Amino acid sequence: MAASLVVKVRLKGILGSGGGLDRLRLRRGFEAGFKALLAAGRPDEAVKAMFSPSDRVGFKINAIGGRELSTRPEVSMALAALLADGGPAEKNIVVWDRTNRELQEAGYRLNMAADGVRVFGTDSSGIGYDPDIVSHLSIGSRFSAIQSRLTGAQVSLAVLKDHGTAGLTAGLKNYYGAIHNPNKYHDTGGDPYIAELFDAPPIKARHRLSILDALVVQYHRGPSHHKRWAEPHESFILSRDPVAADVIGWTIIEEFRAAKGLPSLKEDGREPSYLFTAERMGLGAARKDAIRVVEVEA
Amino acid sequence: MRRREFFKGAGAASLALGSGAGAALVHLYAFADTANLSKVEARYYKKLPDKEIECQLCPRLCRLGDKERGYCGVRENQDGIYFTLVYGKPCSVHVDPIEKKPFFHVLPGTAALSIATAGCNVNCKFCQNWEISQVRAEQVAAIDLPPDKVAALAVENDCPTIAYTYSEPVVFFEYMVDTALAARAKGRRSLVVTGGHVNPAPLSELLQAVDAVKVDLKSFSPDFYKSYVRGDLKPVLETIKAVAKSGRWLEVVYLVIPTLNDTPEEIRRMSRWLLAEVGPDVPLHFSRFHPMYLIKNLPPTPLSTLEEARAAALAEGMRFVYIGNAPGLNAEDTVCPKCRTTLIKRYAYSVQVRAMDKGRCANCRTPIPGIWA
Repeated sequence: MAASLVVKVRLKGILGSGGGLDRLRLRRGFEAGFKALLAAGRPDEAVKAMFSPSDRVGFKINAIGGRELSTRPEVSMALAALLADGGPAEKNIVVWDRTNRELQEAGYRLNMAADGVRVFGTDSSGIGYDPDIVSHLSIGSRFSAIQSRLTGAQVSLAVLKDHGTAGLTAGLKNYYGAIHNPNKYHDTGGDPYIAELFDAPPIKARHRLSILDALVVQYHRGPSHHKRWAEPHESFILSRDPVAADVIGWTIIEEFRAAKGLPSLKEDGREPSYLFTAERMGLGAARKDAIRVVEVEA
Repeated sequence: MRRREFFKGAGAASLALGSGAGAALVHLYAFADTANLSKVEARYYKKLPDKEIECQLCPRLCRLGDKERGYCGVRENQDGIYFTLVYGKPCSVHVDPIEKKPFFHVLPGTAALSIATAGCNVNCKFCQNWEISQVRAEQVAAIDLPPDKVAALAVENDCPTIAYTYSEPVVFFEYMVDTALAARAKGRRSLVVTGGHVNPAPLSELLQAVDAVKVDLKSFSPDFYKSYVRGDLKPVLETIKAVAKSGRWLEVVYLVIPTLNDTPEEIRRMSRWLLAEVGPDVPLHFSRFHPMYLIKNLPPTPLSTLEEARAAALAEGMRFVYIGNAPGLNAEDTVCPKCRTTLIKRYAYSVQVRAMDKGRCANCRTPIPGIWA
């Protein structure tokens, strides 16, 4: 069986200018990542391999961390621009999370207009959560209508962070923001809940791609932002294997922790065991010998 | 008090409130149109380094970073300070028969002003009110109803009691305690309907403010609590003992779920424990399960199972054992344990007080434990 491919896009120096992020460079980063991921000659070919022009695509971002530690608007918009060139029109792309307030605090400008990339939260008037509860394994939740009805394809566009109980919050756990009751699934380090939520039909059937925004990585005391334990990594992690993407994200966190003299997540009693549960459930590869990492510069 | 004989039908007692609060009757939304959240500092929590906190209200001891919510979904760390988001923000306000709670030994035939906010600190797969208990604070339509207004509503609606019920009142602890104190100042009693997941210190404060507590004992098996409640049995048992020790009135409900917690052996063990720890006079209600929430693949509890459970509890020595959610079984009446006179006749929420006199059996003068006036 072929190893799961994870592409690490390095964007050295992108945080160095002091101002906003260079969108063109971010775009080039995504282009390089998509080409490497799909072994495509051109970025639009890679986009077309994953998305069709008729798709309505959601970017489930992580906006809980405010301006300092959320999926950056420049990143979301650069990705949207790339997709719009080869796949769905901008108006069929929704950048979303739980609430409009969190989106705005993360720097997003809301847009529910007919044109342009849509940006809104589940709490927008007329959206909300589906009334019926979905019961799947140990999960019983109502799903955001953005996840279940407004979009047919989903990108988990998450931020790479340490997490106080789960060890790691990245692409899989990002979908906690797609249900009405994430507070019920933080026991036992989120294991097996994170994996079982991903396995639920409203998510598994729509998930197309995991992208981790690792421009800045919170490697300790997450998921809240603590400047003392947040370091630039200036990279994106891309994979069609949602488990493998998170495993490589976990590796980055462990590298930072080791460099800073912190115990590993396992030593800290927070190893993200839900990744191994996800692998056992057939959701992707958690063992590193089953993952192939390709690094590209942009 | 002179012995009274009266019927009070459910229809009369379950009136919605008048204009204003009546609009709050369980209107549920995926998100309320406008989030109506309080920002009142919580009472039981510990500040930790780096703006983290540890909630000390219930045994979960949620440890939360900035902007994180507790398991209950209604308490949030904001910049290192822990807030309750539901203080004075009930999502459900009703006038109910007190028997609906159920309290069978507290002012029978009267109405209880019943309130709830969103949230719960467990996640029972058989929850009957999951649409308000298993949601976050902003996912229901709440109204502004501070403690003094709740007390005033109880007076206006001729309710001698206020019940904190439907969801899990422990999660709106501050609102409940302050309301109970405001109600007491107006001569109203407070009743708590809880799953019993609460730590000793807040429970002690709560028991100073309220008059009666009904605990839902969901099983006598730790494994059941882990699998179907997402909680622990031990703190619930500690709560039951603490309520009894405090002198506040205590009743216990046991929801009998087919194949999950209905073996005669478990019922007998539970009954023996109650007998030993809180005595034979604590009313014990066996309640009928109906498929709900995440358990829809089981049938309603067979009536024979409920009757067997009641028989087992009576055989172990419990003196006041009832069956709920199953009218017609003739197991709702309060009967004098000595002379077997029917003291209070019940059919669902219809109540006829037949032979009670100043807290005693009118026939043989045996004291009947409870709050009767």
